[in-house]
Amino acid sequence: MGRYTLGRLLSLIPVLLIVAVIVFFLMHLTPGDPASIMLGPNATPEEVERLREELGLNLPIHEQFFDWFFGLFRGDFGWSLSQNKPVLQAIFEHLGPTISLSILAQSISMVLAIPLGIIAAKKRGTNVDRLFMILVMLGMAIPSFLLGLLFIQLFAVKLQWFPVAGYLPVSAGLWNHLQYMILPATALGIIQTAVIARMTRSSMLDVLSANYIKTANAKGLRDRVITYKHALKNAAIPILTVLGEHFGSLLAGAVVTETVFNLPGLGQLVINGIEKRDYTLIQGTILFTALVYLLVNLAVDLLYGFVDPRVRLNRKS
Amino acid sequence: MKRKFFHLLFIFTFVPFFLIACSGGGSETSTSTESENTNETPVTNEEEATTSGGTLKIAYEAQPNTLDPSVTTAGATKDLSRPIYESLVTLNENWEVTPQLAESYEISEDGTVVTFKLRQGVLFHNGEEMKAEDVIASMEKWTEYSSLAKSMLSGAEWVEVDEYTVELHLERPSGLVMQTLADQNQVAAIMPKEVAEAADATGAKEYIGTGPFKFEEWQTDQYVKMVRFEDYQPLNDSPSGLAGEKLALVDEIYWYFVPDESTRNAGLISGEYDIATGISYDTVEQIEAVPHLSAYIHPYGFQMLVFNKKSGLFTDVKARQAVNYAVDKQAILQTSFADERFYNMESSLFRPEQTEWYSQVGKEIYDTHDLDLAKQLLEEAGYNGEEVVILTSRDYAYQYNAAVSVQQMLNDVGINAKLDVYDWGTLLDRRSDPEAWDIFFTGWDTSLIPHQYSFLDSEAEWPGWTNSPEIDQILDDMETAATPEEVKELNDKLHEEFWNYMPLVNIGNYSKVTGINEKVKGYQDFIGPVVWNVSVEE
Repeated sequence: MGRYTLGRLLSLIPVLLIVAVIVFFLMHLTPGDPASIMLGPNATPEEVERLREELGLNLPIHEQFFDWFFGLFRGDFGWSLSQNKPVLQAIFEHLGPTISLSILAQSISMVLAIPLGIIAAKKRGTNVDRLFMILVMLGMAIPSFLLGLLFIQLFAVKLQWFPVAGYLPVSAGLWNHLQYMILPATALGIIQTAVIARMTRSSMLDVLSANYIKTANAKGLRDRVITYKHALKNAAIPILTVLGEHFGSLLAGAVVTETVFNLPGLGQLVINGIEKRDYTLIQGTILFTALVYLLVNLAVDLLYGFVDPRVRLNRKS
Repeated sequence: MKRKFFHLLFIFTFVPFFLIACSGGGSETSTSTESENTNETPVTNEEEATTSGGTLKIAYEAQPNTLDPSVTTAGATKDLSRPIYESLVTLNENWEVTPQLAESYEISEDGTVVTFKLRQGVLFHNGEEMKAEDVIASMEKWTEYSSLAKSMLSGAEWVEVDEYTVELHLERPSGLVMQTLADQNQVAAIMPKEVAEAADATGAKEYIGTGPFKFEEWQTDQYVKMVRFEDYQPLNDSPSGLAGEKLALVDEIYWYFVPDESTRNAGLISGEYDIATGISYDTVEQIEAVPHLSAYIHPYGFQMLVFNKKSGLFTDVKARQAVNYAVDKQAILQTSFADERFYNMESSLFRPEQTEWYSQVGKEIYDTHDLDLAKQLLEEAGYNGEEVVILTSRDYAYQYNAAVSVQQMLNDVGINAKLDVYDWGTLLDRRSDPEAWDIFFTGWDTSLIPHQYSFLDSEAEWPGWTNSPEIDQILDDMETAATPEEVKELNDKLHEEFWNYMPLVNIGNYSKVTGINEKVKGYQDFIGPVVWNVSVEE
């Protein structure tokens, strides 16, 4: 197990190196330049050139690349021009809202999706199942930003139950923090619910038609025991995969939701970086989110072993 | 039990949609009756003279890179730094230069020395008194980073006479030196000597000024907080523009960075923000339909269609003139801004209230919309149906809308126009390549003097590449003009030459809109938000 984990961790290194190289060149090939954006549309070429020089943007691209690349090995992700601070510091400052949003959205979607998926699977072909499918389609079809805006209009503007937008950290009090997080987390969570519930349903359907479930039924085991102890556990691996993928992408920053709710998370950080062509910031953030995504995937792979002992046995062999 | 669960689920899913759909209809119907709420003039409140306390919460569109206004012309920096910093001289509501941190100034007879007597007892936010050495360090720093200062004050020197007197020694006399010092695009902010000296191209490392509010906190991507500066020494003159008495009536100001426009609107409606800047033209009616809100419309700048004069069709002045006659400016403005309240047909590079600079010379060329004349000029220019590329961006809806309608208008006179649409950052990049485009759209905020319009100056090499020795000569003559009458005459000549040479087509002036809660009193916009003398009634 330890060796397996170590091997997987080491295999992250080449992936991250490739990401670093691709991101750097992709960003520098994109038209636009931080100096002209910082100075605005009325700036003259002379002013832009001067700032480019001061910022070191006029150096040959390979020099800029090696500067940045070797910095990474020292843990130096570079300096963010738009944030006026080291990139790593900017990332850590924006991590709080993203983590909180991810955990809440993921919890909401799990609490809703798994029971819904199970019920739909058990009631296969009935009206309940059809209603479920309609809701799922609806959930997948609505973009999260639209749901976010609808929530703002209803719960913040009309009913005034929650603030429209903004953010307070947990240190300002848990309830104060949650007040700002509930709407965006629900908007995101509902969209995710649709996908996870569908996966739960189809995975459960596969298992429920298996022979050992029939045997369990024939033995007269209670329905609840069959569903949760025998069926769900065996149906869990695909569900876990989807959950892991979603959690990874949530941690990479829910760009649109964060913008609509004005949450200062990683998504906003990347968007601001792109608008201002803040190369080091974009490179750093993407590299960081790539790492997080890979780690979440690794964690999911390791969890398979706990959920399903057969996976553990396979690994050993 | 399970059936009940599904009923509940159904209700929770669909009821919100119905509620929202119903509420939307309500606000639309009340629009027409409430529209008189609009404030077209500054919201003033003479009775408010004492401290009101409380917090002013502003939802602002963008986050600046720095709060030091002396190193950048970025609008967000200018707006947010304004309550913190002051300069030697500033502008009153008629755009006239007025002393601020200087008690008085005097220009020597030969015009080469300006002597500033500084106000005594003015404290910085760090508690130290402002003295000549601070002024000199700040002005030297500003001269280094302001391109206007560099061109207008080249070779000038700042000299300390005593603790409260500084002199500006000019290489040659200039009639525009005071306007240059009062520039609002890149403000000559006075800060403590050590702060000014430690600053670099990205701005000061500490934000310490002499203004009525002091900088307290900057939460990246969330807000900037300012608090009242208790030791502020206001002037006694009545407030006018950026000059006169400035009182910090509220205890603190929060500038929230809310880039998403619908979120700014929603926050304003729910009462979370007292003021929301950058209300889009098509949501003004929605704001006006809310009883406790009003839309404050304030002049901003002019929209322009810029020609590439270095390469392609528009190197020929006749082709440029043809476009001017081919486009219907009123129609473009209507498409861009949706309502006459947000624009006006104005040929001048300056606003009517800028009495020293406003000129109507060239108005008849601006007003002419003549398709036959346009076609004739195109023929004379030898146009053969080659493709004309219009560069534009959807990031600014009004510019994009203008570009779309101009494309149609050019097609109507036989110009084969095509749109190239990019994000703003890419557009800025592409427009510096003379082979990549023929026309692009941009807006320019009204400036104080013509020398700030880089598009007039051949040396500035601003995209579009104006190259008119006549305009250059007029700009040079203005700098050395001895009397205001002479400047006025040269300014008329400049406007005439502008419309003859036509570096760009000035489409017309436009305004911006700020949404304000009725509990805010005294707010106005003068080249940006003015947040002093503003109170909030709880």
